[in-house]
Amino acid sequence: MDINTVREFSSSNNVITTDTDQSRDPWKFLRWLNPGFVLPLLAGALFLLLWELQIFHRIFDLKKYQLPLPSAIAEAMRDNLSLLLSYTGYTLTEAVLGMLIGSGCGFLIALAATAWPRWGGGSLTMVAALNAVPIVALAPIMNLWFGDGIGSRAAIVTATTMAAMAINAYKGMAAVDPLALDLMHSYAAGKRAVFRHLRIQNSLPYVFTALKINATASMIGAIVGEFFFSSRGLGYLLSNSIKVAKMPLGWSCIVLAAIAGVIFYLIVERLEKVFIKWHPSRRA
Amino acid sequence: MKLNRALMRGRTLPLLIWICGLLVLWEAVSWWLLHVAKTPLAQSKLPYVHEVALTLWQYSGTLLREGGATFGNAGVGFLIGALSGVLLAVLMSLSRMIEQLAFPYAVASQMIPILGLAPIIYGIVRDEQMSRIIISGYITFFPVALNMLRGLRSVDPSALELMHSYAAKPWAVYWKLRFPAALPGLFSGLKIAAPLAVTGAILVELMGAQRGIGVIMLRNLYYGPSHTYMFWSTVLVGALLGMTSYWLMSLVERLVAPWQPEFRPQGGSR
Repeated sequence: MDINTVREFSSSNNVITTDTDQSRDPWKFLRWLNPGFVLPLLAGALFLLLWELQIFHRIFDLKKYQLPLPSAIAEAMRDNLSLLLSYTGYTLTEAVLGMLIGSGCGFLIALAATAWPRWGGGSLTMVAALNAVPIVALAPIMNLWFGDGIGSRAAIVTATTMAAMAINAYKGMAAVDPLALDLMHSYAAGKRAVFRHLRIQNSLPYVFTALKINATASMIGAIVGEFFFSSRGLGYLLSNSIKVAKMPLGWSCIVLAAIAGVIFYLIVERLEKVFIKWHPSRRA
Repeated sequence: MKLNRALMRGRTLPLLIWICGLLVLWEAVSWWLLHVAKTPLAQSKLPYVHEVALTLWQYSGTLLREGGATFGNAGVGFLIGALSGVLLAVLMSLSRMIEQLAFPYAVASQMIPILGLAPIIYGIVRDEQMSRIIISGYITFFPVALNMLRGLRSVDPSALELMHSYAAKPWAVYWKLRFPAALPGLFSGLKIAAPLAVTGAILVELMGAQRGIGVIMLRNLYYGPSHTYMFWSTVLVGALLGMTSYWLMSLVERLVAPWQPEFRPQGGSR
């Protein structure tokens, strides 16, 4: 789950492979040829080539209308570019809006659970339970409550992103250095001051981990929400073009959704760098 | 006072009060919507709890059967996905080349809305059973592989040296050291994937299938207000399936890897 740890993992790998003395290396450009970079690229190109040459179609006995070729997908994308872009924007709006509300609520729940552990702890358990509820069960209810506009999808995303934030932020607020807590007590700091200066700061790295998880989860929530009742958005176009057997258009929806999701994720990651720069864990 | 404190100490009582409070609030809002605010479709929006419970009881046979079908399909896909995820993780930990090939795509695939692929896979396979299993397996595959690989790699170096000094064979290193070390990671992957696998299975059922809880859910949604209670019951069953899958994974984790800090009475985080 932890994209964060995954990232740490991959970046630590990069450190190992590229940590040679590069400042005086005349073959600097050869660094791009290191196997960690070239191999996956080659594999991806090979995959696309095999797909384009219909090798997969032969192996799995598929027809071209079932699994369209990459060139057909690119063509469909070019033909419907303005429609696709506007729908991507719509879906992304739902995702961002829902994620902001959901993460905000999750953070508040974590605050409450830390401030009043006995009673707030129960709310944490219930949010975790909400997390296990399938999106497909939530979606029709949210549609009944909020109509078929942007609100219902935002509500679905809110419900799916709340738990990750609540649980992560709670972990950050609870796992405070006991010495720091003792110091605050010795200064006779009130509960509020402890929160402002210690717990919230301490929770920030955890909060950003949750935000990164939520960036992907919110795209899924928005798209699945659009499968049900919607007249706009990538999820609507996707399920609709499958229904009328326009597979290339459906695939181009997925491609765009993936690109939008990655960009969303990268933005959150960028924000993390900006906001946690001052944090001791980043100063090193 | 003393009795009061004894009751308050546990975590169960506050949770119980939370649940009861929510149920009462739900019932009250439902009544308010129906009789005071007179919203259109009041019962569809928030039905009486007792009516839903009654329906749940009356149709428990059907719901159990269809829910079981969904759960079984999700389970088969989940098992296949988990097994291949573990296999890929072991391969990646054995061979640097396989890792360099697969890892970037594994990370990238985490950022693609996987559930969005459901209609496409259904469109390709055109077989509900198959596509349900494929989607549940696909969703399970990557979190399990990534978490497992992290676990396999995070072995204590001094323990590894000890194994070397005993001239342990590679399979012994894997069996006795790396696999146990990878179990917590494996289970955190499984716990993420289990509810998602159920979601994937229901999603396929919504798109057109013969059996499963999603089929009844959709049918009752379209029948309108007269089938409200049944619709809400199916939603509840779907929610229960998701939670059960998570709970099952936690239970198995407790049985298989009971040494983890979070299972100690004091809790692991502090």
